[in-house]
Amino acid sequence: MKNRLKVLRADRDWTQADLADRLHVTRQTINAIEKGKYDPSLPLAFKIAALFGLPIEEIFSPETD
Amino acid sequence: MADTRTETSLQAGLKKSTTQLFLATGAWVGSTALMSFGPSTFWDFDVAVTFLAIAANLIVGGLMLYSFFRHLKNMDELQRQTHLEAMALTLGITMVLTVIYGALPQAKVLASTQPANVLFVIGISYILSVTTLWLWRTSE
Repeated sequence: MKNRLKVLRADRDWTQADLADRLHVTRQTINAIEKGKYDPSLPLAFKIAALFGLPIEEIFSPETD
Repeated sequence: MADTRTETSLQAGLKKSTTQLFLATGAWVGSTALMSFGPSTFWDFDVAVTFLAIAANLIVGGLMLYSFFRHLKNMDELQRQTHLEAMALTLGITMVLTVIYGALPQAKVLASTQPANVLFVIGISYILSVTTLWLWRTSE
């Protein structure tokens, strides 16, 4: 699954640690999601969407798109 | 610049559950040692006392399992997934290696087998699996 997490985070001038603190996960989890090595759970994806004020599909998209 | 962020609730929860797991594991190791060496060292093979030591070992073992479950629940989702995948790998590796190890006396490669050796396989497989999966997922 592809995602725009890195771009959205950079737009807000947040570090991976800043975003991790806001989502109550480790910085390594943010890094793994950004690098596409880990797909977040549905609850975490909803949390990310709520934090950025965007629908999930504007942040995450299937690899085939 | 120094990192001035305060400890998050995730880090605080993990620290607490790690300490509890460490203490519970230590207590289990101690009660296992007492159960194994107590009969010959402390109570001259009194069966009733040995049963008490076994009961204590079971209770402390249950507490250790509970502590591990709590520790797993306190992890963030990437840590939890890494540990669960490592457990799956450990189960598979242990099953394959135990079957081979069990067949060695029959093939006259070894005189006998020690069931306790399986614990080493479990421990080493788990540590290697957690480390490899974590490093692979979190490499920069």
